This record gives sequence, structure tokens and C-alpha cells, in this order.
Amino acid sequence: MEVYDIRPMLAPAISFACSGMVFLFGSNKYWRRFWMLSASVLKLIVVLSMLPGSLRGVVYVFHLIDFTPGIGLGFRADALGMFFAAVSSTLWVITTVYAIGYMRGEEHLVRFFGFFALCVSTTVGIAFAADLLTFFLFYEMLTICTYPLVIHDETPEALKAGRKYLIYTLIGGAFILVGSVIVFNATGTLDLGSPGILSADIGTQTLALIFGLLITGFSVKCAIMPLHGWLPTAMVAPTPVSALLHAVAVVKAGAFGLLRTVYNVFGVELLSELGYTKPLMWFAGFTIIAASLIAIFQDNLKRRLAFSTISQLSYIAIGAAMLTPFSATAAIVHIANQAFAKITMFFVAGSIQRTTGKTNVHELAGIGYRMPWTMGAFTVAALSFIGVPLFAGFITKWYISLGALESGDYWVLAVMIASSMLNAAYFLPIVYLAFFKVPPGTKMRVTEASPTLLVPTLICAAYVIVLGTTAEVPGMPFSLAQAAVHFVFGM
Amino acid sequence: MYDWPHWIIVAVFSPLLGAVLTPVVSLRDRRVAPWWALGAMTVSSFAASMLVIRVAKEGPFSYLPGGWERPYGIELRFDEFSASVAIICLIGWLALLYSWRYTECMHDMPKARIPYYYTLVLLNLGGMMGLVVTGDLFNVFVFLEILSLSGYALVAISGEHIAEMAAFKYLLMGAISSLLVLFAIAILFSITGSLNMADVTVILSKTTYTTPAALALAMLAIGFMVKAALFPVHIWLPDAHSIAPSPVSAILSGLVVKVGIIGMVRVYSIYNGANLLDLHVFNQVLVWLGALSIVMGAFFAIFQDDIKLMLAYSTISNIGYIVMGLGLSTNFSVIGGTVHVFNHALIKATLFFAAGALIYRTGFRTLTDLRGVGRVMPLTCIAISIGAISIVGIPPTAGFLCKWYIALGAFEAGQPFFGFALIFGALFIFIYYIRMVNAFYFQEPTRPEILELSEAPASMLFPTLLLAALCLVMGILGRIPLTFIEPAAARLLTPLGG
Amino acid sequence: MFAALWHNIDYAAAVVLFCIGLYVVIAKDNLIKKFLGLNIMETAVFSFIVALGVVEGGDAPIMGPDARPPFTNPVPQALVLTGIVVAVSTTALALALIIRIYRQCGTIEADELREME
Repeated sequence: MEVYDIRPMLAPAISFACSGMVFLFGSNKYWRRFWMLSASVLKLIVVLSMLPGSLRGVVYVFHLIDFTPGIGLGFRADALGMFFAAVSSTLWVITTVYAIGYMRGEEHLVRFFGFFALCVSTTVGIAFAADLLTFFLFYEMLTICTYPLVIHDETPEALKAGRKYLIYTLIGGAFILVGSVIVFNATGTLDLGSPGILSADIGTQTLALIFGLLITGFSVKCAIMPLHGWLPTAMVAPTPVSALLHAVAVVKAGAFGLLRTVYNVFGVELLSELGYTKPLMWFAGFTIIAASLIAIFQDNLKRRLAFSTISQLSYIAIGAAMLTPFSATAAIVHIANQAFAKITMFFVAGSIQRTTGKTNVHELAGIGYRMPWTMGAFTVAALSFIGVPLFAGFITKWYISLGALESGDYWVLAVMIASSMLNAAYFLPIVYLAFFKVPPGTKMRVTEASPTLLVPTLICAAYVIVLGTTAEVPGMPFSLAQAAVHFVFGM
Repeated sequence: MYDWPHWIIVAVFSPLLGAVLTPVVSLRDRRVAPWWALGAMTVSSFAASMLVIRVAKEGPFSYLPGGWERPYGIELRFDEFSASVAIICLIGWLALLYSWRYTECMHDMPKARIPYYYTLVLLNLGGMMGLVVTGDLFNVFVFLEILSLSGYALVAISGEHIAEMAAFKYLLMGAISSLLVLFAIAILFSITGSLNMADVTVILSKTTYTTPAALALAMLAIGFMVKAALFPVHIWLPDAHSIAPSPVSAILSGLVVKVGIIGMVRVYSIYNGANLLDLHVFNQVLVWLGALSIVMGAFFAIFQDDIKLMLAYSTISNIGYIVMGLGLSTNFSVIGGTVHVFNHALIKATLFFAAGALIYRTGFRTLTDLRGVGRVMPLTCIAISIGAISIVGIPPTAGFLCKWYIALGAFEAGQPFFGFALIFGALFIFIYYIRMVNAFYFQEPTRPEILELSEAPASMLFPTLLLAALCLVMGILGRIPLTFIEPAAARLLTPLGG
Repeated sequence: MFAALWHNIDYAAAVVLFCIGLYVVIAKDNLIKKFLGLNIMETAVFSFIVALGVVEGGDAPIMGPDARPPFTNPVPQALVLTGIVVAVSTTALALALIIRIYRQCGTIEADELREME
């Protein structure tokens, strides 16, 4: 059921306006915080207000403007988009609080928070984009808005990372644009509201070209190997930005684009006929294993997390590529599961860096005694990634495995098991170091991170458990994901 | 009111007349000159807006000066392509306003020369207005020469010897191309015995003189390509556009090169209408040259440190887009290409105005020297950023829809390669604009004295910001020019009687 | 072929002259010579246009009691008059530029000027 409602546009527009306010009045500390928080909170309110309707199966549609017939700006809050929007806007409130605490005393704060708030609006814009062009527009805006954040320190290293980030993502964006042009040329529409706009009579050659272009384009931000190069380099950014890049916005935008391509541009039916998703599965499977292997050998905590992100993102890709209802559920739910767990870890890394100045894994011995709550949160996130039941990550792995059994891709099971073991191999040593390896002579004194850093961390960790235990409770994100799957598979 | 028949004469001749009278009215006080010029341009703009309203309501119309019927008299023909008088007036008016403060700080130019500067600018604008509304081939040549000659002089006006050499180079190439155009017009005259474009088209469709017609087409194309600075014959452009005073650069880069395009459109409509020759080869040549221009222009631009030189090379790139759009000769690509004439004028004028403001305030013109200028001149730098985003073609700015249409045309024409070339060319362009934005905002100043400066004066800031805002507005309201030009593009592509 | 060329000898001469002019513009280094080349090209085009209007045995198209057809076509001559005006102004501008370049650089040889940059 489609309802014409302004709210899908209002959500990005409100935070867009607030970010403008940050730029205008940002020089005053309190006004800056006020507008920052209002950007994220207002948007969250708007998004959540649509949630009950969305769970009932209502799709909110708003058409802003037509540039030319068939090409315009439109917004649609369907189940899949609502899921992504709800996750990202919830996380954004938390990250904003964290960022305010983290960035205290830094320079160029107006610019930082202004672009930070702009990213808020663009991400929701991506979630609610009703057509491929609107999607592309917000996707590119996100790229541009995150650039000043990546190079925030203005060191040569940061500038270099920023350049690499831009080159990767813009080339990816160009692929998407070419793909969109071909889609439009072939079908005369770019609408993302149906389970597939392409049909088999376009010709396999064109279809393969479109698939290749779109998937390659989105894989850049989704950091599927070998297109992941920008992500570890971009770690020079301040921690809230890394959290943002790695957990909420940028990479998830890529993953979300993959889902849109598979489910709304091609459609499950057409793709299972064509069989184009197999290579995507292989690449994703390879990425899961290879990135984990690299992560084991990283001593810098943030770099280790970065490679872990690369590995985790491919869960979404592999889930989408398997084209079964179970794996699709896993892919969608993993957007939330990975986001909350990974952002917890980044918050922890940032807190440690701010409180003790330590950035490397080998320095963390005994840190669990100094910052027990922080490291407790880290442990929760680590267990989630490993796939222990009761934690969010388990749900993903369970459903991907079910999907693999359903579609007959048994090798995916092996990948899942190997990945769990590898996750354990690079996260558990940190937990071990933190709690069980106390260097002789250290004082057992608790010096926790400041509350603005600690509280967001704990909230995220709590979410990880909530997501893992209450999946079947109606009204939770999981049911939204299932609604999306039902729509996509026509169930 | 809009259908008063004589607006077309007012629009063309008020700048020309104003130009001639500028030195006279500013004999006593040379500060009168800018206001006189602005007045002349205001009159012309008003007339032009009447014309545009009329063509939007009634479609194309003709005006016969002195009541002489064609083919004996000269016909002025106003169609949808002629609506580019609107952009000529807009940018011309703003450039005149911008020049008011800018000319005062040009130390190389003697103050006594200022009235003549305005004469030349007005002549140039009047020549362009005449060229886009004329329906007579020989008139094309005359107006082409008016605007070219004033253009050469404007490049040289600052009086530095580099400027004079750039102007001489421009003059040589420009004069040769004008002669080629004249030669071709003479050949067409010898075939058809007429100079009226509509007549020529009709007669040409009934003749069998394919070889001379093809020769004339080649000469016209080469002639207008030089004016438009398409890739192998672009060599005059970078020097001339970067050395000229900034408001002049905006006019030259935004408008004067487009004259070559308008000329090409006229030629195209004659030959496509006559349907005498098979234009496939010609189209392919255009498309390839367009693609080469896109790539080479962007490639050279990357290595420039001088901000205006960089903008000049980017013009070559954008001309490539337009020519490619024409050459693909599908409905979409022609619409996209011709609308890009309009949009690129907006964007490039924004960029040159902003760059000029930076140079005016700081006295530096290289990216290295201008580092950190975003902190003291935020509005100018925002305008430059908006311009950069639109020239790359990121939605929802003005540059996007045209490129979308041209790319769509490439796929429609079954030449996807050029679609790729176009979009990746845009990416290439982005790289050098990022360098610029980086330098202005994120790098430490190499010249600390920059931080003492303040924002550009209002008379320069206003045109810059207005155009930057238009870049955004035209992106959002992009369907207006696209639908406006649609019938003209359709006419352009259909042969007579077909 | 040869007969056709002979028949159109006036046109052929114009084309040859045009090419000579173009050669001079490209090959000569001296700015004045370059410019003279341009003038040769102009002359070529003008003579071509005038030749278009010739009618065998035609009279000057001046109306009067003695006037009787055939007349030569007057349009090309009007065109050439305009063309000459344009050519003169181009010449004036170019010469002015050359003088100023000479005053500032002391030379008008293109290769030496390039070295000075």
C-alpha cells in the first residue's frame, strides 16, 4: 500500500537544514551542539514515526521534482529503506554524542560537524531514494561530504588518504552512473520501487554490462576485494569518522546499493535465471577469508578493525548474491548487526586512544582493569562477530548458512565456519590481553573514559545483545527485514 | 507587448550603437563609461527577454529589416537556438558590472583606455547577438568578424607583451578560420545563388553538386571548429583566455567559443535539411574530435598550476561535450549538447568571475600561492566550489542533465564507447577541481599575507554568487531549457519534407 | 578533367592563391610576413567571390537610360566591399599589435619571441 507522505523527504531535508545551521552558527560551541543534536534527533523522530506504518506494510512515497520526464528526485520509504534509515539514524544520534565528546579541543570544528551533519542527511537520502538517480545523487554527495572529514587533520598523510578515498569512490560512482544511463536507455525508468525493472528481453549482453557496472561501482564502497584499498588508508581520520565510514554510512551505502541492484533493479527471478551473482559470491567469499587473514597480522587496532569491516561487509554481499529468502534476510539484518557491533569496537578504540593514548594492540595488556566497562563492550562486540548465540552476529551466520543449504552452495558453510574461527583469532587475543595479561607492576586503578564516550559505547553494546536475543519479537528490526524479503521474493 | 516586431533590432543594435558612443559620452568623465555600457546592455536585455517570451509562445519568427522580402533583403530569424541571446545578455550584463571595479585595478592598462574597453566589450556582445539571430549567411560572416576583432583586441588590452602575443596568435587563427567560413559561404552562394539560410537549404536539397557542397561543409566545419577551439585547433585558446582580464575571460570562454557551436548548429541545419550529403562520416569525425577534446582538455588541465589556465583548458573539454552531442545526432544528444551551450556559459562565467575576484584581491594566480584563501574569501570560494561541482556534472547542478542527455544519446545511437568516454572524462575533470578545492580550503597558506585580506567587493561578488546560484537553480529546473529546445532539436534532425 | 579546370581557371587561381597565403602564414617566422600571408588569403577569397558574379558579356548593373541586360551579378561585389572593410580593420589591428610587440620585445620573429617567454 503506497501513501503519499512528505516524511521520506522531510527526514533528509531536516538534517540538511540543521547542518546549514551548524555552518552558520557553528562558531558558538553551544549552538553548534544544539544544531548537531537536533539534526540527528529530529531525523530519528521522523524516521521512527514512519516505523509503525512501515511494519504494517505501508510504503510512504514523496515525489519532489521532475528534471525531465522520467528523471527526477523522488523519495520512497519501503521496508528495506526503512531498515537502513532506522539503523543509520539511531546510530547517528549515538555517534553525535560520542563525537562531541571525542572532538573536544580539536580545530576546524565547525567544518567537521557541519559535514558530519550533512552526512546524516545524505545517508537517509540514500535509504529513501525512490529511483536510481536520486540514489546516485545522494551517494555522490555522501562521497563529497565525507572527504573533508577524512582529511580533517590536514596532515600530508590525511590528504593522501583523502585523495585515495576520492579516486576510488568517484570511479565507482562513474561506473554506477554509466550503469544507470544504460538502465534508463533500456527500460525508460529508474524506479526502485518494484521487484526488478529489467527484463530478460533486453538481451544478455546488455544485462551483463549493467550488472557488471552497477555491482563494480557499489563494490567499491562495499570494499569487496580487490576494490577495498581505500578503506584501511582512510583510517587516519578521527575515530568518530572511522566509525561513520566503517559502520554506518559509507560502506553501508555501498552494501545497500548492492541490495538495491540485486533486488530492485534486476530482481531475484531474473538474476537466478541469468546466474550473474555466482562470481559476486566468489569474490565475497574470498574477501571474507582474505581480509580476516590480513587482519590477524595488523598491530594497529584501527587497522585491524578496518580489515574486519572489509570481511564483514562481504557477508552482506554473499547473502544478497545467494538469492534465497533466508540469505536475503541475513544480508539485510547484517546491515544492523555489523553496524552496532563495529561501531562499538570503534568507540572502544577511540576511547582507549583518547584516554590512554594507545593505538596498538600489543600495548593493550591489562587495559581491561583500567577501563573495564569499555573493554566489556568490546568483548560483547567480539563475541557477536565470532557468532556466539545470543549476540547479533549469530543471527546473520545462522541465516546465511540456512540460505547456503537452501541454494546448495555448500562451500559457503565452510566459509562461515572459517570466518568465525578467524574472527576469534584476531579479536579474542585482544580480549585476552586486556583482561588476563597484566604486566607486572601496573596499578589496578579504574580510569574509565569520560561519560560522553562511555555511554554511547555501552548503548551500542547493549543493542548488540538486544538484536541477538529479540529477533523474533514483533516490531524489532528483524521483522522489518522480513517484510522487505517478502516483498522482494513476492511471498 | 512581446510581439512588437522591432525588438530584434533593438536587441542587436543597442549594444553596437552603445559601443560606438561610449568614447563620446565618457569624454568628459571616464567614470561614466561602465554605467553607459550597462545601460545599453539593459536595453538589449529587455528586448532579448521579449524575444525569448515570443519564441516560447509563438515558435520561430522572422524579421525583414526595411521590409525587403527574402531572398533580396536580409532576414533576421529568431528560433529556439537564438534564445541564447538570453544567456549572452545575462553574462554580458554581469561582466560589465564586474568590470567596473576590476578595470580600475588593472595596473598594466592605462586609465584612459577604460572607455575603449567598454566599447570593445559591447561590440563583442552585439556581434554575438547579431550572429545568433541572423538568417543570412553573409551576415554570419560580418557578425563573426565584429565579435572576433573585438575579441582579439580585448585579449591584448591589458598591454603586457604576453597578452599581445596571445592576441596575435588568436588573431591569426581566428582570421584564417573566418576566411574559411567566408570561402565556404561563397561556394554555397555559387551553388545556390542565395545567401538566405532557409533558401540555401531548399535549393541545396534540389541540386546535385555534392562535391562543392561537401567542400563547403568541410571548410565551414573547420572554420567554426577553430572558433570553438575543438581539440586539434584549440591552441590559441589557453593563452588568450587565461591572459585576458577576468570578465573578458568569462565572456570569451562562456560565450565567444559558443559562437562556433551556434555556427556549427546553423551549418548542420542547412546540410541536414538539404539532405544532399550522407553526413555519417562527418558526424563520426565530430564525435571523435569531441571525445578527444574532452580527454585532452582534461589531461592538460591537470598539469596547470595557474588557475585561469586550468579553467581555459576545461573549456576545451566542455566544448568537446557539446560537439560530441551534436555529432551523435540523436534527439537526446542534440538537446543535451545545445543546452550545455547555455549551462556551460553559466558555469564557466561563475568560475572565471570567482577566479578573477581571487586574483583581484590577492594578486596571485597559481594554486600554490592561493592556498588557504578559502578562509578569508569564503563566499568566492563557495561560488568556485559550486561551479566545480556543476562542471563535473554532479546532480542536482546545471552540468548534470546535459551530460546525462548526451550519454543517453550515445547509448541510443548504439555507440556506448562514447558514453563511457563522457562519464569518465567528467571524472577526470573532477580530479583537477578537487586539487583546487583542496588548495583553497585544506592546505596551509604558502603566502601568509593572504590571511590579512577580505572578501571581494560587492560589485564583483554579486555577479559571481548570482551565477553560482543559477548553476544550482538550472540543475533543479533543468527541464525548462530541455523542453524549450526540444522542437528545435527535432527540426534540426529532420530533413526538409521528411 | 583538364578542360574543366581550364574552364574554371579563375576559381582554381583563387584556390592556389589561398593555399600560397596559408603556406606563408604557417611557414614564415616574421610576424609581418605571416600577416601578409593572411592578406593574400583574403585577396584570394575576394577574387573568388568577384569571379562568381561575372556574366559573360555582362554590363555593370547600373540602372539608367542606356542600361540593357545582361548585367553582372552585383551581390558578390557588395559582399566583397564589406569583406574589404573587415580585412582593413583586421590589418589595422594586427599591425598595431605587431608594433606594440616590437616596442616591448625588440623583435618580431616568432621563434625569438617564443624564446623570450
